Amino acid sequence: MTQTVVVAQPRAFVKILEERCKACELCVVSCPQGNLKISSKLNHAGFHPAEFAYQGTKGECTGCAICYWVCPDFAISEIQVKG
Amino acid sequence: MPKQHVYLKGNEAVAYGALEAGLNAYFAYPITPSSEIPETLAKEFGNKEYPEYKFFLQAASELEAINMVLGAASGGARAMTATSSPGFSLKQEALSYAAGMELPFLIVDICRAGPGLGNLGPEQSDYFQSTKGGGHGNYHLIVLAPASVQEMALFPRIGFDLAFKYRNPALILGDSFIGQLKEDVEFPEFEPQRYDVSSWATTGAKNRPPHVLNSLELDYQKHYKHVGKIFEKYKQVEANEVLYEAYHTEDAETVIVAFGIAARIAKGVVNNLRKKGIKVGLLRPITLWPFPKKPLRKLASEGKRFLVVELNTGQMLQDVKLATGDSVTVDFLGRWGGVVPTESEMESKLRRLEMVAV
Amino acid sequence: MSQTTLKVKVGKLLSLTDNPTHYCAGCEHGTLTRLIASAMDELGIREKTVMIDSVGCSVLAYNYFNCDHIVAAHGRAPAVATGLKRVRPDLMVFTVQGDGDAASIGLLELIYAAQRGTPITVFLVNNSIYGMTGGQMAPTTLAGQVTTTTPYGRDPVLTGTELDASKMLSGIEGAAYVKRASLVVTELESQRGKLYTIKNILDAKKSVENAFKVQALGGFTFVEFLSTCSINWKMSILESKRYVQEHTMKKFPLGLYRDTFGVEKK
Repeated sequence: MTQTVVVAQPRAFVKILEERCKACELCVVSCPQGNLKISSKLNHAGFHPAEFAYQGTKGECTGCAICYWVCPDFAISEIQVKG
Repeated sequence: MPKQHVYLKGNEAVAYGALEAGLNAYFAYPITPSSEIPETLAKEFGNKEYPEYKFFLQAASELEAINMVLGAASGGARAMTATSSPGFSLKQEALSYAAGMELPFLIVDICRAGPGLGNLGPEQSDYFQSTKGGGHGNYHLIVLAPASVQEMALFPRIGFDLAFKYRNPALILGDSFIGQLKEDVEFPEFEPQRYDVSSWATTGAKNRPPHVLNSLELDYQKHYKHVGKIFEKYKQVEANEVLYEAYHTEDAETVIVAFGIAARIAKGVVNNLRKKGIKVGLLRPITLWPFPKKPLRKLASEGKRFLVVELNTGQMLQDVKLATGDSVTVDFLGRWGGVVPTESEMESKLRRLEMVAV
Repeated sequence: MSQTTLKVKVGKLLSLTDNPTHYCAGCEHGTLTRLIASAMDELGIREKTVMIDSVGCSVLAYNYFNCDHIVAAHGRAPAVATGLKRVRPDLMVFTVQGDGDAASIGLLELIYAAQRGTPITVFLVNNSIYGMTGGQMAPTTLAGQVTTTTPYGRDPVLTGTELDASKMLSGIEGAAYVKRASLVVTELESQRGKLYTIKNILDAKKSVENAFKVQALGGFTFVEFLSTCSINWKMSILESKRYVQEHTMKKFPLGLYRDTFGVEKK
């Protein structure tokens, strides 16, 4: 279970454009840390978009960008990492 | 290549005519009786006399050739291909696309007998396909019908000019007779008008927004407007670009309406009968689209009768009837299958119709 | 709460427009779009690239790629690409075609573009079906696979066996780079349980870059990408990924089929 825990010094951040998400869940299954899950929100197309948590089921987001490359809809639009 | 007194076949003349008109790229596919066109252009590739002639390639099919022309035209080049009737059938899809994408290029169809394989003899049976749109959808080709080897030599100039002026494919509709006929030709000095393609050609989106050459429009209202805009363009073509020849029509009682080789023969008939004091004339459409409706309507209003002569079962006949109206006599002499009507056949037809008292 | 400054590692691509795509959820067309746009950005070729769009699910690609486009008729894209490239050899010209477009109606255009060694790039998205038209049999449909025109399973005795475009092109001298890659996320069993790896997607990304690089060197390049079509295969998204892994990849092995310039050796 992911929590939207505020991490003191986040290593990375995943920006999601919720309106573009089609809930294919590829990011959810591909994230090695389990940071992504389908939210209970609804976007205008009727999908439940994915949402990002800094602290996932398996660990903190490392900014690996696997979700960015796997997302077919550019909903995962940006990966930010510690500079 | 001398510019005067050159003895050429029709097919050769149209090839040299294209070179003189600033041809950039030719994409070939052989089909009798048009193959001399790509053969001439293959031979002349690299001739420094034509510095704008940059590329020649034989494609693997009629479809490949016309789609290569489409690609080259998209880049703003003066591109061309030639074919005969069965190949022309194959190319219709690409012509429909090109009209929808508003692409300029030149295509030559040397019409032969159909349907199907038919034979290599002359016919004018691609008239419907050329003027009523052989491809799907609402569009027109600009169609020029040469009746001599000299016209074969000059029509590429007109064809490319109209194609680029109106951003639409242009067709030179010949027939196997004119294609093989050998006559004396001259190439007058000519500088083609340069049209600016930078507003639409796909040359790379540098310092400008992308250009998309596309015939697909999924929004029906937008598509209605898009095709409507193209037809506004066609109205301009109809208003400004009609070409025809009126030969002894002013005082004629009967007017022969014919194009291409049929018109060539009909001219001889007019000359023969005029010598006998019989008032016959010839109206020869040069642009088959836009069709010379106005001059026909005028002749009809003057009470003249018409004999349409074509190498088909009656195609331009319908347009003549439409243009001249219900109260006018329009008769028809047709020959097909490669058979060419002779002068005496035309004269006996005119006699039989009691149009001419001989 | 303190926020350390994060900077963008990967993000907006110049070669992509802001338009959302119409592709079905989980479709690899979207993935390929991102890979191609990324390559165009990284190689700095956006301003001289022209895409020849084909008829198929990707027909609306002109809404997604921020470059010039010509939308060709079904199967004709390599011919249109040839015509453009030959009058404008300075441009980078590529096509994206489905398996029906390239390997059925357009097979002649594809083979001849390779045969001539025309310096263009063909990207073939192979999902073993005619997607856009609602799921009919394609040349790459697997034997026994159910489609709307093979409702009892594809019979290879009547319809032939699966057409292997990469293998076909590998025997053509004019083809400088022929690669079969996969855009499909694959399942791995590991100590941490079931994992999904994008190793193939990252390799596909390199293949896209190589294809453009070899075109710049003057060669004809071709990359076939294995993909899914969960909607027309009537499977869930993850089931369709599994299908490729268990069946498609066995009939269409990934790999380098031709590399005249040795671009993958480096």
